[in-house]
Amino acid sequence: MTSILSVWFVKESDTVDMDLIESDIETPEVVSDNERDDLKQADSAGIAHIRAAEPDLRSARQRLVLQYVLLPFVFLTVALLGGLRISGVDSSFIFLKPALLCLILAVIMLTLFFRSGLIRLDGWFAEDLPMTKNVANAAILITLFAATTQLLNSLMPEQGLPFWIVAFCFFWTLWNNLFADFDTKKLLRSLGALFGLAFVTKYLLLANLTAPAGKTWFEALTENPAQEAVTRLLDLPRFAAATGYIQFFTAVIYLFGLFILPQSTRNEPD
Amino acid sequence: MKEKYIQILGIVLTLVYGGFIAFLYAAEPRSIEEISMKARSTVENAVTKGQVITGIYEVDQEKFNAGLNAFRQNNFVVARDSFERADPEHRDAKTQYYIAYSFYRQGWGRISNDDALFKQSLERLERVSLLNPNFRTDDTDLQLRTPAELRGELEEGMTVSADDFNPLRLVRERK
Repeated sequence: MTSILSVWFVKESDTVDMDLIESDIETPEVVSDNERDDLKQADSAGIAHIRAAEPDLRSARQRLVLQYVLLPFVFLTVALLGGLRISGVDSSFIFLKPALLCLILAVIMLTLFFRSGLIRLDGWFAEDLPMTKNVANAAILITLFAATTQLLNSLMPEQGLPFWIVAFCFFWTLWNNLFADFDTKKLLRSLGALFGLAFVTKYLLLANLTAPAGKTWFEALTENPAQEAVTRLLDLPRFAAATGYIQFFTAVIYLFGLFILPQSTRNEPD
Repeated sequence: MKEKYIQILGIVLTLVYGGFIAFLYAAEPRSIEEISMKARSTVENAVTKGQVITGIYEVDQEKFNAGLNAFRQNNFVVARDSFERADPEHRDAKTQYYIAYSFYRQGWGRISNDDALFKQSLERLERVSLLNPNFRTDDTDLQLRTPAELRGELEEGMTVSADDFNPLRLVRERK
């Protein structure tokens, strides 16, 4: 009787209590001694199997949490910070909505992700997958799209001639990539180089050419004539230095998100 | 926790966080302190819109009474502010008529009228006519009882005519 109960317990419960299984509670003799020994051996084998499977279950659960909770959080954080600028005058927040071009480039980038195999479409959406999983996967990819849009918003200058020059460079590179034979590593290297160059151009080169904010035109022209001239000529916005730091971490968080993005969601147990 | 529950948790957290980000980009707060203020006004607006959609929208009677008191004390700017807060969706003909009337009374002058205020009064009257074409006020303090009467007075006040130079106009009374 004890063994029968213990077998039921092992099958029905996630946690196995060895004391209960091997307890010496007196029960009426329903099974013979030989049968009891056989059942005990079967119990031990079942327990060993479950214990061996426990780390796998734990890692599968961690992978699920990483995929369905951490990953959207990472991408949404990029979406939040990508459009954030700090005013150079009073250090107030400025939330910049992305230009239409950022959305178009984000679509091209997502297409590249699919083409290079960074994301396998059949591993994310399929009729044989449960409804909840398809919806959750769609939510992750929407956050990826939002993050990509906002990263482009972050890396491209806000207005004027620099915006059009950098936007053209982005478009040229991504358009060429669209027709090239790519694997995941090459794509990520190419994107890393593109993002790095855009970051240096905007937050080092152009930021250093921008005259400081909060000065009268007379002060600006006498103290920083060259910077003031370039700022007005190129229509550069005057942001605080903190903007560059925020956008640096935004780009890093985005790349981390791409690093933990699985190619397919099919490998975990359903 | 089962896979399904983790996925549902992920979807819910994504919606909540995504909603918060959308709110930030829509409200554009300029500081951390401003976030709570903007959030409150957004919630109030959403509640009011919800009331309009469900047909349970009502004028805030307390604010309306405060506006009426200010109106009777000739404090028209304060009155309009109270009326605006009493009817934020501009859906109550009575409140809108008081706002139009407050522009008229504030803009009225014995020698000359303020055309800018009269124009704003006319704009409000259009709203009143839209809300209730047969509107007639029950306030005996107001001599111009209908939008048509008030519109006539406003248009006459904005038109320059020979009557404007009649010295007897100096003894006329505000309605």
